[in-house]
Amino acid sequence: MNETPLIGRLLNALKRFGMGIVNKFKSFFVVFAMIFVGIGRAIRNFFQKIVRAAKENPKSFKKGLSSFFLMGLGQLRNKQWYKGVPLLSVLVIVLLVEFITGDYIYAPGELQNHPPEDTLYFFRDYGGLFTRGVWGFLSLGALTIGMEYRGNMIVNEDFAYDWLQADNSRTLMGEGIIIFVIVAVIIGLWIFSIRDAYKTDLKIRAGMGVERAKDWLRRVWDDYFAYIIILPALFLITLFILIPFVFSFMVGFTNYDSAITLRADLIQWHGLTTFRDVFGADPAFRDFFLVVLGWTTIYAILSSITVYVLGLIQALIIESRYVKAKKVWRLILILPWAIPGMISLLVFSNVFGTDGLANRLLSDWGMVESVRTFFEMVGLLEPGGSGSIQWFTNPNNPNMARFIILIVNLWMGYPYFMLLITGVLSTIPQSLYEAADIDGGSASQKFRYITLPFVIRATAPVIITTFTFNFNNFGAIYFLTGGGPRYRTAEIPQSLRGIEPGQTDILISWIYSMAFESGDHDTYNLAAVYSILVFIIVAGFSIYYLSRLKSFWEED
Amino acid sequence: MKYKVQRVLATIFSYTWLTASVLIALAPVSWMISAAFSDARRLQDVPVIPNFAEFSLNNYREVFTYRSSSGAALPDFVDSFLTTLFIATLSTILVVIFSSLVGFAVTRFRFRAKKPALLLMLGLQMFPSFMGMIAIFIIFRVFGWLNNPFYLTLIYVAGAIPFNTFIVRGFMRNVPRSLDEAAMIDGATNLQVMIKIIVPLAAPIMGFIAVNAFMGPWLDYILPSIVMPNNETVAMWLFRMQEPTPAPFEPMLFMAGALFLAIPIMIVQIYMQKYITYGLTAGAEKG
Repeated sequence: MNETPLIGRLLNALKRFGMGIVNKFKSFFVVFAMIFVGIGRAIRNFFQKIVRAAKENPKSFKKGLSSFFLMGLGQLRNKQWYKGVPLLSVLVIVLLVEFITGDYIYAPGELQNHPPEDTLYFFRDYGGLFTRGVWGFLSLGALTIGMEYRGNMIVNEDFAYDWLQADNSRTLMGEGIIIFVIVAVIIGLWIFSIRDAYKTDLKIRAGMGVERAKDWLRRVWDDYFAYIIILPALFLITLFILIPFVFSFMVGFTNYDSAITLRADLIQWHGLTTFRDVFGADPAFRDFFLVVLGWTTIYAILSSITVYVLGLIQALIIESRYVKAKKVWRLILILPWAIPGMISLLVFSNVFGTDGLANRLLSDWGMVESVRTFFEMVGLLEPGGSGSIQWFTNPNNPNMARFIILIVNLWMGYPYFMLLITGVLSTIPQSLYEAADIDGGSASQKFRYITLPFVIRATAPVIITTFTFNFNNFGAIYFLTGGGPRYRTAEIPQSLRGIEPGQTDILISWIYSMAFESGDHDTYNLAAVYSILVFIIVAGFSIYYLSRLKSFWEED
Repeated sequence: MKYKVQRVLATIFSYTWLTASVLIALAPVSWMISAAFSDARRLQDVPVIPNFAEFSLNNYREVFTYRSSSGAALPDFVDSFLTTLFIATLSTILVVIFSSLVGFAVTRFRFRAKKPALLLMLGLQMFPSFMGMIAIFIIFRVFGWLNNPFYLTLIYVAGAIPFNTFIVRGFMRNVPRSLDEAAMIDGATNLQVMIKIIVPLAAPIMGFIAVNAFMGPWLDYILPSIVMPNNETVAMWLFRMQEPTPAPFEPMLFMAGALFLAIPIMIVQIYMQKYITYGLTAGAEKG
């Protein structure tokens, strides 16, 4: 927490950089506002169109109306059985599923004996897939183990009478979101059915006749080919990216923390409370968040810059005229890049263990003391220690661990940039250098005014993606230090005990350990809120950047 | 004369610098090799430079025979290797099919709100993926997919589509439209245009995507550890071997297994370096 002046200056620079970004992002917020206005306008237009249709073509409108009351009926009345029958059967299947998975047939008999003043959750006990799903999502459950309900005791598991089983809020929430997505698809079909019935009727009245099944299929296959071929991909993305995203987003608005034992307690919606905690209601959260955010940003910036600079230096040296056998050097130097990241990181976490390879080599060479003195001088170790060096576990000075993280990241990351920049160097037109020679330019001038601008312009997008990648580089921290060194217990405020970050944790690794590795303290709502913040930072940054790239907006 | 001295100094500096770089790059690799083929029981006793006088295959014998339960049909490592191989192969096939379909659709047709949708897709991926894993876990349990590598593969495929769409798009839009139009005039359908003209022309980029899709699942740890708790992948095996708790803590076996996996992956990566400039257009980055 006690930053050296150097880091203080860095933070200041960051602040200025941040203000710059905020100013640029104003246009980003304008885009957001435009999206909302656009949605509002679309909704208004939708209803205006309906009103206009009812006024101008009341007869066709009635066809649409019949599809509104019974999906597919309008199509059947238009004599388009090939549309009407599938639409109608979707409706029938939905109703059947709701009826079969529900217990509606028992309801009348059982409700007769039910005293009206007792609590009763009708959809919980009798509802089918859809109504129960919606009920579960809105309420997140009602009954927990040991409660008395309708004259019985609620238990953990009851396979014969599932209504006696305690509600698992988390599952209800997940299932609820899935149900909402399915319902959205059905509503989409429904709207299609209404519009189609109306439009077809218009065509019939204009004397264009009814399209036959074969023609319709061919036309759809041709005109909607693009939509059809992305359907399977869309399905997978919805199931495995969109639904999980919505779910974890929603968790941020609940009270799901370590106090909740599923089935014994209920999760409840509690709005923005967790957000309020993070933004100042509880200073401990805010302070630790800012510390971790600061280190995350510094880490992301420094790790991107170091790999870039070293990559550039190596590329220049290998490509210089003094070096022979360029291909051989390059081949050996890219080995660290070729090794899978997880393996390198785990190996390095062994190398820098307290009795790991690094310490052993230093003692074999008799260099422990001189290296120790060196690190004391640069401030990475406090004076007065002795024996082997604690690379990752020194709680007094996390900067040593941070330094090693950056070094390992450099080892793994620079070959990529070396290769990339080598490729770019070969595309710089030789004529530029020849012109410089004629004007008597020195080597350093040529580098400064020709090579460097050319390389930076060509690699700018990669610098940005490297930055966002490092901002979320979970493995670099988790596999290397596991977030350590830990804070001393006395330094941790009461409200954060058990879920506090390690001193080298970046946001993403802190979120992970908070949600999954804190044992009895696993805290999901806070982790979700932090995830949302990380998401806004990183996605905002890269979407803003991508949307500014000319190549993105070019027409295909 | 002055020029010559400068030249010699620069040459000496370059070679010293490069030699030092090579030593630093190779030291951990050499240590891994040394550990994998050593007889030592502790990692601390392994020298940096392999001692081939004491060359031993004991670690590998152990890796390929160790079973955590005696009833297991296959040794743990072999089992996890085959599981991961299945996932990687299936993921390759599906990712290539889906990416070419989506890439083709995106480059050759007009959509409503196409570009905002593309941006949204990329943006969604910036959400810390493991936060979604509680939800993925629930989905898997509700549908009974836990411990089933097929459904794990589908997650990888879903995750690969947005990014690959960008790469394929960058490539396919350089294929001139006049080719499609000529084929259309000859009576080809959309599907024929795609399969017979565009995809063959985009074959190099498909190779790039295929290799990436094949490599991705090998050393992914968190996702399989959550949705396949009882069906190990190699990454889970590796992590289990080098974690002090719970047992078995076998860092020597970790080194042997890691080397066994790293070598083919390294060869493929080195072969793939010619594709590295795609990173310039698509923003690729090794993960």
